[in-house]
Amino acid sequence: MAESTKMEVETATVTAPLPPKPTFVPLTAHEMSDGKVQFRKLSVPPNRYSPLKKAWLDIYTPIYDQMKIDIRMNLKSRKVELKTRADTPDISNLQRSADFVQAFMLGFDIPDAISLLRIDELYVESFEIKDVKTLKGEHLSRAIGRLSGKGGKTKFAIENSTKTRIVIADTRIHILGAFSNIKVARSSLCSLIMGSPAGKVYSKLRSVTARLNE
Amino acid sequence: MATVKDSGMEALEKLMSTEPPVFLAPSSISEVARAASQYLFTKLKPHNPKSPIDELLVDGYDAEQIYQQIDMQSQPLLSSLRQEVKRFAKNPEEISNFGNLVVKATNEDDVDEMDMDSDDVDDEEGNELEASESEGEEEEEEEEEEKKDGDNEGIEDKFFKIKELEEFLEEGEAEEYGTDYKNNKGVPKRKKHNLSDDEDDEEDGEDDDDEEEDGEFDAFAGADNEEADKLGKARYRDFFGGKKKEPNMKLKNVTEDEETEDEEPERGNQGNEKLSTHEKDRLKLQAKVEQMEKANLDPKHWTMQGEISAAQRPKNSALEVDLDFEHNVRPAPVITEEVTASLEDLIKSRIIEARFDDVQRAPSLPTKAKREVKELDDSKSKKGLAEVYEDEYVQKANPAFAPATFSDELKKEASILFKKLCLKLDALSHFNFTPKPVIEEMSIQTNVPAIAMEEVAPVAVTSEAMLAPEEIFSGKGDIKEETELTQEERKRRRAKKKRKFKAAESAKEPNKKARDATTENPKTGSEEQ
Repeated sequence: MAESTKMEVETATVTAPLPPKPTFVPLTAHEMSDGKVQFRKLSVPPNRYSPLKKAWLDIYTPIYDQMKIDIRMNLKSRKVELKTRADTPDISNLQRSADFVQAFMLGFDIPDAISLLRIDELYVESFEIKDVKTLKGEHLSRAIGRLSGKGGKTKFAIENSTKTRIVIADTRIHILGAFSNIKVARSSLCSLIMGSPAGKVYSKLRSVTARLNE
Repeated sequence: MATVKDSGMEALEKLMSTEPPVFLAPSSISEVARAASQYLFTKLKPHNPKSPIDELLVDGYDAEQIYQQIDMQSQPLLSSLRQEVKRFAKNPEEISNFGNLVVKATNEDDVDEMDMDSDDVDDEEGNELEASESEGEEEEEEEEEEKKDGDNEGIEDKFFKIKELEEFLEEGEAEEYGTDYKNNKGVPKRKKHNLSDDEDDEEDGEDDDDEEEDGEFDAFAGADNEEADKLGKARYRDFFGGKKKEPNMKLKNVTEDEETEDEEPERGNQGNEKLSTHEKDRLKLQAKVEQMEKANLDPKHWTMQGEISAAQRPKNSALEVDLDFEHNVRPAPVITEEVTASLEDLIKSRIIEARFDDVQRAPSLPTKAKREVKELDDSKSKKGLAEVYEDEYVQKANPAFAPATFSDELKKEASILFKKLCLKLDALSHFNFTPKPVIEEMSIQTNVPAIAMEEVAPVAVTSEAMLAPEEIFSGKGDIKEETELTQEERKRRRAKKKRKFKAAESAKEPNKKARDATTENPKTGSEEQ
């Protein structure tokens, strides 16, 4: 039979009430990674081996308790291994812990390195002296001396004024801090490497930090 | 005595005859000399009654001692001789009486002197002798001159001499009347007249004067004897000449001396008399007047001519005159040693006081409050980096809870220290001055920018509007306005008010009652005594 030509108006039947919006619990890190565990492995340089042994518990406690990241030291391979757990709250915890441990390996102290765990936007920048200026032999030694100053006072002055932490490891320089602060510290260190006297660097620092703190 | 006398005379003669060089060398002539001196001594003895020694002792005596003896005798002799001579000078008549005797005596005296002095072989004494001899001659001459005066023995003294008085008087007269003193001295007027006639032909007045004077002196010297004779017979006419001769002579002198003299009438008026004082005064006055008139007629000196330019006055004449004009600048200070010394003293005192007048910069007002300047810290920071960022965050987010900064701690420490110090000082002053104790309230003061502390309220809202209702009115219960009250309510209110008032009055009254109870009678209300 032929379909009726009449337009059949479908009367809107009383629709059923919409279901409530689903509320999803945020995914845990574990779930995010589809249940897979993520690893970080950090090698320990030989000169940091014994300090690591001394400060192991200070490293272990915050990572394991607060970051909820598993951490262990592989003695055979001389590496620190980090692993996410099921109850790790945030995916970035692992990275942070890895950065924290890495900072320690570079030479920073525990209280300084912990700031990486606590505060987001802190970074570590490393560069070498030869990147700034090729120096050889005595000049290099003298440059290193200039950088640290007498008893390290120049280094501390830069650290205090720019709110950074600096590690001078032979010819490598590592700076830990906020981005803008790192920039200031880096420029002052570079000027020191280039040969400007400490007094000049101080005066520049003073003006810059005053501006920074405003 | 005769033999002695003869031997003495012989000795003397012998001495006289010897050559002077013989005296220089010691020889037998000394014996002769002694004998001669002895003889002379005895000769002079009678003239000198006061001499202590009768005879000159020569045996065994030194030359010096012999001389001393002679000197002892001769000294009073000399003085007595001088007195005698003076006496004779005043009384010339006695000379004639003594005459030869006096001459002899003087001669003997001279010889004695010569011999006595020749005992000592001394050139100096020889010179002295010659001097004394010449002196003696001069004295003689002067004495002769002085003998000319009259008998004035009685009043004359060594201070007062009649002769000098006369000279003085004559000088005065000469000055007053214009006569030449020197002429008056002893030369009669006639002589002077002769001299002046001789020199009439000469034209130069000054030369005339000199020559006249010279001539006068020569005449004076030559006419000694003449004067001696004429002085005694000096008369008026000698001094002032004849009545007719005198004025002519005078006039001629005047013309010769003063060539510029033009005065004629004076001579005519004079007649034969000398110029009187009045005439002399008139002469002087007229001379003065003429001088003044002449000055007035002459062109003035350039300094008196008022405004004058450089061309009208002689060259460099302004330098000689002391010009007076206003100086607009203070004259430069003369730097003397005292000035520099005073300056240096001032400088030193200022340095000691340290009171330098240095220019002090005017303090500029602070436009804005100084922010805390963070000093560069050289030491290793005690806080970890995390803590540093933490503090920074807290400071920014919640200023009230920010922990005290280093400077705040310093301030606290400073205030504590100061309080301790103040306590100690107050104790020293026995707590006589105790300022109000500062009660520090627990108010947290934070060094925070003001904008963070301000109330967040719109500008247009008034302070009234911002008050909370309880701040506007604090009260409780049912509050009704007067119009709303019922009659009873009103009564109640009034009663309440009255009660309050009475209570207040009774609080004041007991004081009053206590005072008036003794004096006032409550019934009558009048005072009882």
